[in-house]
Amino acid sequence: MNPFPPVRPSVAVASLYQTYLVTRHTGRAVRLTIERMVDERPGPSLTVIDFREVAVIDFSCADEVVARLLYDALSRSDAAAPHYFLLDGLEEEHMDPLASALARRGLAMAARTSMLRPVLLGAAEPEARRVWEALAHRGRARPSELSGCVDGNAETCRKWLARLDSRRLVRDAGDQFESLFAILGDGGLGAGEAPA
Amino acid sequence: MSRVVDVPEEMDHRGFEELLAELDRAFEDEPARMLLNARHVRWVSPYGLIGLLAVGRVIRDRTGHPPAIEAPDNREVRSYAEFMGFWQAATGIFDIPPADPRTHGPHDALLEITPIRSHRDVHTVVERVRERAAAILEKKLHYPKPAVIQFSVMLSEVCQNIIEHSDADGWVCAQTYDYKRRLGREVLMLAVMDVGVGFHGSLASEHARRYGESWSPATALEAALLQGESRFRDPGRGQGLQAIRRQVVKWDGELAIRSGDAQIAIVPEWDDLPPLQRGLPPFPGAQILIVMPAREQGEGT
Repeated sequence: MNPFPPVRPSVAVASLYQTYLVTRHTGRAVRLTIERMVDERPGPSLTVIDFREVAVIDFSCADEVVARLLYDALSRSDAAAPHYFLLDGLEEEHMDPLASALARRGLAMAARTSMLRPVLLGAAEPEARRVWEALAHRGRARPSELSGCVDGNAETCRKWLARLDSRRLVRDAGDQFESLFAILGDGGLGAGEAPA
Repeated sequence: MSRVVDVPEEMDHRGFEELLAELDRAFEDEPARMLLNARHVRWVSPYGLIGLLAVGRVIRDRTGHPPAIEAPDNREVRSYAEFMGFWQAATGIFDIPPADPRTHGPHDALLEITPIRSHRDVHTVVERVRERAAAILEKKLHYPKPAVIQFSVMLSEVCQNIIEHSDADGWVCAQTYDYKRRLGREVLMLAVMDVGVGFHGSLASEHARRYGESWSPATALEAALLQGESRFRDPGRGQGLQAIRRQVVKWDGELAIRSGDAQIAIVPEWDDLPPLQRGLPPFPGAQILIVMPAREQGEGT
């Protein structure tokens, strides 16, 4: 873990305001808008992409809006100012295009359904998923507190958490790791909601 | 010299092949002008309707003259072609007077013949079918609610295929009808066509070298549909057709993609299309057929 607490990310919400997120052309325009929003904020950032208005998203648009966005952000990665993304307000119908688009590029993204259920979309190892889900439920934790998700070994768990951090799926907050939902300040989960 | 080309009595995807064979023979005579004789058509599917437009466009491009067309004698076929917007779409392709705008009232077409020229047209199509798709898929074909969104996604991807890969305009059309003879159930048929570069042309620059001498329209179709290859190196490309294939299989539907002289198909048990055909009459662009059968009571999602 990082011995010095990193600067807390600034949080912004990108509302999509579109019912039909279809075609690559539309997706590209939406992605560029989100990228501008990220670029305007110096330092680490968390951008919440709000899907509550979206009825339909197709695979091509999902690739442009979400997978390309994360792919480019990771390619331009700045360790001192990482950019995190969180998909919010997802319905069941959004999941397949988003998960497929991310998985095709070997990526994953943290997401939350309209019922506030945390979901890890895209490509991730089973161990990574278990650790991610446990942290999503707790908000913040040290590796030793989540080691039961892997093999009971805190060091193994720390490695998984560090890997999730490098993929921008959780955040290394210095003395512990935190889920992206915890950065939002609302705990991320609905009352009594358990991780999937 | 003029040449008459007879349109088969049953103008569906099988009739389309007969028409292309006839067209091939007609082109051998190098006629200056052609006439499509559709008078004896007794039945036409959405695929058949836009197939006629595609054939008309190819004749126009090859001869330099828009072909003439004789309308079907059969009143039902005439009326169906009219409410699907065939004559509007045919203006400029065939040598016919400009068609009047459609004046008839509401009908049960899911999607009339709609030209696809840009991403805006894809948006229009997806937005237009949403309500009708809900009514038809849920109430008539007994699909679960999420299928309406999944159908919209499929429609969007299949139409984008024209814009992203054909370098030409195309058409889309969808309708339900009773598929009694083959299936004993109602089906939804979605047809999308263009007369552009086809899969073979689209994928050639990126993939032909790797396939060497075996590169052909058939291998191009296999690369696109089975392996998710695209003309772009970007790994995010090529997932649209893969997604359509998965969805069609899930719905026990049929997917056939014809391009060049080949056709590849995902064939359900209820049909007997060959999974891969080579040596068909060559035709430019890509012609896509999706058939979704009505769900039977107790079938899952």
